[in-house]
Amino acid sequence: MKAPLQSRQQIPRQRILERIRAATLDCAQDPAMREEAYAALPRAYTRHGQLSAEARLKLMIERLREYDAEVVETTPEALPDAIAAQLAASDKHSFLAPPGTPSEWMVTAAWKISGLEWTIDHGLATAEIEQSEGVVTAASCGIADSGTIVLHHSASEGRRVLSLLPDWHLIILRASQVVETLPEYFARFQQPSGLVTWISGPSATADIEMTRIKGVHGPRFLNVILVRDKS
Amino acid sequence: MNYSHAELDPRKALPFPKAVLPVLRNPQLRKNVAHAIDVIQTKRARLVAEKDDWQELRTAASAIRAHALENLGAYLEQFEERCTAAGGTVHWAADADEARRIILDLLRQEKASEVIKIKTMTSAEIQLNPFLEANGVSAFETDLAEIILQLGGEEPSHIVVPALHVNRSQVREIFARRMGLKNLSDDPKELTNAARTYLRQKFLAIPTAISGANFLIAETGSVAVVESEGNGRMCLTLPRTMITLAGIEKVLPRFQDLEVMLQLLARSATGERMNPYTSLWTGVTAGDGPQSFHVVLLDNERSSILAKAKQRQTLKCIRCAACMNACPVYRQTGGHAYGSVYPGPIGAILTPQLMQMKFAQSLPYASSLCGACYEVCPVKINIPDVLLELRAQVVNQERGRAARYFDPMYVGLRVANLLFAKAWLFHVAQRLGRIGLGLYTRKDGWIHSLPGIGAKWTQTRDLRGLPDESFHEWWAKRGSQPGKEGK
Repeated sequence: MKAPLQSRQQIPRQRILERIRAATLDCAQDPAMREEAYAALPRAYTRHGQLSAEARLKLMIERLREYDAEVVETTPEALPDAIAAQLAASDKHSFLAPPGTPSEWMVTAAWKISGLEWTIDHGLATAEIEQSEGVVTAASCGIADSGTIVLHHSASEGRRVLSLLPDWHLIILRASQVVETLPEYFARFQQPSGLVTWISGPSATADIEMTRIKGVHGPRFLNVILVRDKS
Repeated sequence: MNYSHAELDPRKALPFPKAVLPVLRNPQLRKNVAHAIDVIQTKRARLVAEKDDWQELRTAASAIRAHALENLGAYLEQFEERCTAAGGTVHWAADADEARRIILDLLRQEKASEVIKIKTMTSAEIQLNPFLEANGVSAFETDLAEIILQLGGEEPSHIVVPALHVNRSQVREIFARRMGLKNLSDDPKELTNAARTYLRQKFLAIPTAISGANFLIAETGSVAVVESEGNGRMCLTLPRTMITLAGIEKVLPRFQDLEVMLQLLARSATGERMNPYTSLWTGVTAGDGPQSFHVVLLDNERSSILAKAKQRQTLKCIRCAACMNACPVYRQTGGHAYGSVYPGPIGAILTPQLMQMKFAQSLPYASSLCGACYEVCPVKINIPDVLLELRAQVVNQERGRAARYFDPMYVGLRVANLLFAKAWLFHVAQRLGRIGLGLYTRKDGWIHSLPGIGAKWTQTRDLRGLPDESFHEWWAKRGSQPGKEGK
């Protein structure tokens, strides 16, 4: 099926690349020079933040709250209880978790709250995910400067659809994962995973008269537990 | 009911000065545009001011984009290789027609009669939706602004907030009529909820999606989409098949380059530190998202723009719309008068170039050359410079035409050319002009109305009458009365 389309594609491909080559005769570089030119590009912007660890976390929390996300802080020991408290306060009953979720998170939570339904995603159908009201995931990084949380969709962060369809998303972010600037994130993750989602607050729109409205298609509620795993 | 009757095909659009007239006579539309622009501008100014390294970020972004364009062939081939290795299929389209056909072929292979779409101006550029409709495929826009436009039969007037010319009560009217919601109020929250409900089933049911791309990453073969609502994430995650349409200029050399672009883009576009969602994906990922992924790389005259050293910078654009938000002309007119899906200052340079300077020649003149667009541009496109270059090309086109011998402007310029060449002729003309204009000068020293072609000036503003003596005359007199200036 695909072969004829592929071969038909060869003609425009060559034509376009030839046009581009002709257009950039004055400036295109050979691979070694291109590497060198790339390395020499001006990058005088701020790469490393100046804040203390404490101030960095404070900024992260402040930024998240500006986006209307709810943030609580806890210690590693008290994390399962903090999760349970968040679930109880959410007024939701059916929750999802990615397959890599630490079991103690759920055991404690389920034990504390009656009538709570946990489903672990071992290849759930979309309709099943759509039926769930909330989801709990880990994250890869927090960026304080813009209040951004980054998911790389590992086993503990879950497939993309998992943190998309439920209306309520609880993210467990460790303090050691929080950097101050966006360049610090890129320094930390030079080899990106194939899938990355940068989340800055709950889904929103400003398409009607530039009024920011929370919650269009993504989760309308973003909750974050910040775990103080090192000082 | 249409709030405006715009024609966004530059081949058919009226010249800017004519197209702008209905807008200037529509106070509601002008109020909507001005309100939205003022809100964005205030937010942007605040967030840019808090960034100490804003200028350094602009310098870096400009250099990265220029470098990517200078080596575009190599970076595109690298992107193609990595994307293909990750399970994607890359298609190349020389023009709009080829792109539309490739997309339709892919949809036919999928036996798709419906498709969901993430907002993409590139698809509007190639007029994809009407083409798909004509071929039996219904395209559903999923961005809130695009739904408003699609359901209301409207055209986009801005590249980031395309429905910025429509206010909440107009949105209420469109939604109530097209979604059958009689009791809908004009509370933006309620309107947004109506859109959420309307689209939820479409997201879950339609297995094919079309997106644009904010960035293509050569190093990894990844695509990045920047959005707010989550409709993008829905389209990128739920369908079986994903088709991404991207201009060839969208490529960035490396993943790390996003550290510059993402800091600039949201602040410039919507006045936020970061937009709610940015998604990056690489080919296909087993068990997560579409298992069939196609990228259509669109040239459509971009390689011609690339060939011209001065105009090449047009392609650095990352479509943030800061230039239109800052433009004093756009603020008065909104986007429709530009007769293109790309309005504002960037549209004024991009559109005529995409049309090989055969259409939209009035657009390079739709500017006061104040330079506000250049000042806010996150990738430092010198738009006024390109505008001047394009104006020169338009003048050159007109040189050979017989009509220019009768055009009042060219007649005037030729007369001026004669007069300015000889001092005595200039002085004679000055005296005659003083006598002539004196007839129309009122006691307050101003001319309030002129006949004939002069009326074009005086119907919108007054003209200062000529003074009783010229500088030359004053200077000559001064020479005979030394010391009078009080040395």
